[in-house]
Amino acid sequence: MNFNKEDVAISITDLNLKYEGKMALQNISLQIPKNKVTAFIGPSGCGKSTLLRCFNRMNDLISYCNVQGKIIIDDQDIYSKSVNVADLRRKVGMVFQQPNPFPKSIYENVAYGLRLQGLKNRLLLDEVVEKSLRNAALWDEVKDRLHENALGLSGGQQQRLVIARAIAIEPEILLLDEPASALDPTATLKIEELIYELKQSYTIIIVTHNMQQAGRVSDYTAFMNMGTMVEFSNTRSLFTNPREKQTEDYITGRYG
Amino acid sequence: MDDFRTGKHISQQYSDELNEIKNHLLTMGGLVEQQLEKASIALVEGDTKLINEVYKEGSQVNALEKLIDEESAQCLARRQPAAGDLRLIVTVIKAVSDIERVGDQAERLARFASQLAEHPRPKNNYHEVYQLAQHVQKMFHDALDAYARGDEELALNVIADDVNVDYEYEAIMRQHITYMMEDPRSINSSLDVLWAIRALERIGDHACNICEYLVYLVKGQDIRHSKNISV
Amino acid sequence: MIKNPITQLKDCFGTGEPWVWLSAAAVSLSLMMVFGLLSLIAYNGLGYFWPADLMEAELLNGDKKTVIMGEIRETETVPAQQLREAGIQLTKEEQWLKRILLKQGNRDIYGLDFRWILEKNIANKHYPKDLLVIERKEWGKLYGRLTGIKENGQFIKTETLYQEMQSRLKQVHQLQKKVNELLKQQLGPINTRLETLRLYEKKIQFDTSKLSETLSNIEEQRQLLNQKFSQYQAEVQQLYKIMASDSILIQIASGQIIEVSMENIVQVIKPNSMNILEKLGHYIHQIWLFISDDPREANTEGGIFPAIFGTVLMVIIMSILVMPLGVITAVYLHEYASQGIMVRIIRIAVNNLAGVPSIVYGIFGLGFFVYFIGGSIDDLFYPEASPAPVYGTPGLLWASMTLALLTLPVVIVTTEEGLSRIPGAIREGSLALGATKIETLWHTVLPMVSPAMMTGLILAVARAAGEVAPLMLVGVVKLAPALALDGDYPYLHLERKFMHLGFHIYDVGFQSPNVEAARPLVYATALLLVFVIIVLNLTAIIIRNRMREKYKELEPH
Repeated sequence: MNFNKEDVAISITDLNLKYEGKMALQNISLQIPKNKVTAFIGPSGCGKSTLLRCFNRMNDLISYCNVQGKIIIDDQDIYSKSVNVADLRRKVGMVFQQPNPFPKSIYENVAYGLRLQGLKNRLLLDEVVEKSLRNAALWDEVKDRLHENALGLSGGQQQRLVIARAIAIEPEILLLDEPASALDPTATLKIEELIYELKQSYTIIIVTHNMQQAGRVSDYTAFMNMGTMVEFSNTRSLFTNPREKQTEDYITGRYG
Repeated sequence: MDDFRTGKHISQQYSDELNEIKNHLLTMGGLVEQQLEKASIALVEGDTKLINEVYKEGSQVNALEKLIDEESAQCLARRQPAAGDLRLIVTVIKAVSDIERVGDQAERLARFASQLAEHPRPKNNYHEVYQLAQHVQKMFHDALDAYARGDEELALNVIADDVNVDYEYEAIMRQHITYMMEDPRSINSSLDVLWAIRALERIGDHACNICEYLVYLVKGQDIRHSKNISV
Repeated sequence: MIKNPITQLKDCFGTGEPWVWLSAAAVSLSLMMVFGLLSLIAYNGLGYFWPADLMEAELLNGDKKTVIMGEIRETETVPAQQLREAGIQLTKEEQWLKRILLKQGNRDIYGLDFRWILEKNIANKHYPKDLLVIERKEWGKLYGRLTGIKENGQFIKTETLYQEMQSRLKQVHQLQKKVNELLKQQLGPINTRLETLRLYEKKIQFDTSKLSETLSNIEEQRQLLNQKFSQYQAEVQQLYKIMASDSILIQIASGQIIEVSMENIVQVIKPNSMNILEKLGHYIHQIWLFISDDPREANTEGGIFPAIFGTVLMVIIMSILVMPLGVITAVYLHEYASQGIMVRIIRIAVNNLAGVPSIVYGIFGLGFFVYFIGGSIDDLFYPEASPAPVYGTPGLLWASMTLALLTLPVVIVTTEEGLSRIPGAIREGSLALGATKIETLWHTVLPMVSPAMMTGLILAVARAAGEVAPLMLVGVVKLAPALALDGDYPYLHLERKFMHLGFHIYDVGFQSPNVEAARPLVYATALLLVFVIIVLNLTAIIIRNRMREKYKELEPH
């Protein structure tokens, strides 16, 4: 699919990723639209999480991981040498599969990113923490116990806290790596509702195993298989009338 | 039975369920086809025994319709079908109501047949009506056949054929209007004939609908109400 | 159905029940051993401080009768044969004989503190209320009766001899306190300044410009200080004279009368006239003295405060040294070093380091820290002190460093263990918020590892506090002249030698001139050492548990 240049948040060209000599991603070219929800679906090991982790260079943590190709965010190739990885990650926030709040208070969790940036003004911090928690639809549940340990929250609340933590530093892009796979259905729906709210202000990319979830929350869906991008299209058409047989087989639960 | 578009699921049970829905639909179609055939024979031959059979089969068709609706709803709720499977269920739900209407029309046909049996019959014994009935029966049969096989070409042929049915219908109508103007005593029987051919024409339309659903099922493209039918 | 016994046995073992019983038995055996050990030490150590009754009796030796006095320490039954072989004349029919161990005190007169006496030779055993136990600064305890008090050689006439003596003793002790204060607060600093002056004088010899001017300045100061010094010294002498003026006369068992100067007396009690409450009060007072006092009489008398202080201070300095080093090493090994063959070799080496005998560390400490590093420091910074070494001699700092080295592997291993237990998701979470690696470590990972670090510290403290062998080479002495922490700048004197409970046990138990008398003291010191280790460990454990509560590890929901 092609978008106008100003509507593109991330532009990926001929991305190849080798992991311990194996090709994990092959010739991925893709444009991720701005302020939309894009879902990556595909079977386990298809490379969707790997691709997601390329956008904030989380793959850097793994040695023996070799990336070729271009990923352009804000007119800059994020794999060029001049890029400061910490700055990139401030711009491209990420939420993981398992809720991973720090063993600190709820307040400190949300303020973590801001404190890293050297923000010390108590009033400003209070304001941002409240705003982030409100945006993450968690404020009403935790406002009376901001200074209690975040590990006392339920799994769903923890995941929303982690989202609040990520949006507190106001990224442009939010990467969600199976954000609801460890949650019960109600918590999952709350997260999905939250994603719907957040897409007004952020570009969201979500990796999910749950196709129904991808169908529910996303505007665009990419189907990946064996490290290649099989089909990327409008979620509406992908779920009723996919172009590729591989996609059809996957989303209807057939063996290819 | 690994049928078109239902088989090869990782969950064999899912395949079986979809197959069953489809088979029930085809069984229902077969029953309605029989109804239609019997009603048209009854129309030209005035056979009251056949008319009763049509009514009896009508209740079976209704039972099947309810069963298929229930199965489709269950499938939607429990399997959340996607893509081809989703299109199958959606078209089955729609086709079921069309087939049921065809059954209703067949019953109407039977009713007019019993009314016509009380009147004196013309020399040609409503041959032109029988021909139209044959034509519509073939259309309906082809529609079901196309659905069973996933044959969108046959379906498109059926849709194209509907124009001919319309011509025949108009010809018979004009003919009977002439009769009525010539001989007012024939008004009663001619009106019945008009109602009967009207029912046949409706059956042709339903067959077309089923074919349109099939095209959507196979191609994912909605060709209804579009002038340019090319897939 | 009846099963044969072998099948039954097999079934029984199959259920695993015997193993449960076996392990339960092993656990209870271990517990019993621990409690047995502790109670043995406690029984032997704590009994020492109880004011035992003083016995007076007649000892029959052939036709001669002598009066004996003393505390009964032990009673045992021995075979007659053994005594015959020791050269004691006994009749044939006697098979088993009771004998008692008498602490007769008065070591300066009898030469021996303890004496075995056959019970059948004793007659007229009684416990007169007027017998005194006089604890002296020298020669141990004196048992006897008070017959008079002298002031400047003149007898004091009074009805209540005992009360008079106690009140005079109190006055003497107050004077003593005054003297100590004078020595510590006035004479001590003057001495230190004189020493500084001497060293300064020596130092400026190297710098010839303005030499004469400075020298005369120094001489002036020295004159002033010496003047002050002699002034205070005169004052002290005066006090000593007053203290020496009082003395008491004691009649000992043999009837001989001994004069004891008041300034030599620690305390006087009448154990036979004390009721149980008074005894208890005295008992607690004795324990307090043991813990808080300085040792006397080659460590066999008095308290062990310097040893406790030295042990605790050494462990604390060791902890301060080992924690940063161990934690930084572990963090580097686990977080930064690429996990290749080199790191694996280092890890194996660290693990093996934990198994090296501790005396080897002592030798290393002596050779490397004391002679090499200490010697270099002396050459560079204290040339004026030579040939007397400052740092180039065993001392607190080197002992702490040697033990830090000894406990380093424990801290490294436990910290690394803790680091590997932090879930990757936590690090990723922090990195994804734009934190650098070091920020992630500092703000998130290390706080979560702190309980593991504390565990490492607990293990290190447990090992260090009990270690004696290496310390003997790098800083522990039998008797330290001063504590390492005092009021003189720079307050903490790392170059000083110190006393240690473990070494104290060894010294009192094996090196003292009076082993029999010192035995209860060994037990008491051992008990105290165990107690100190428990307190140190408990402190660390409490800190760790608080941290655990705060940094609960992530549990998957």
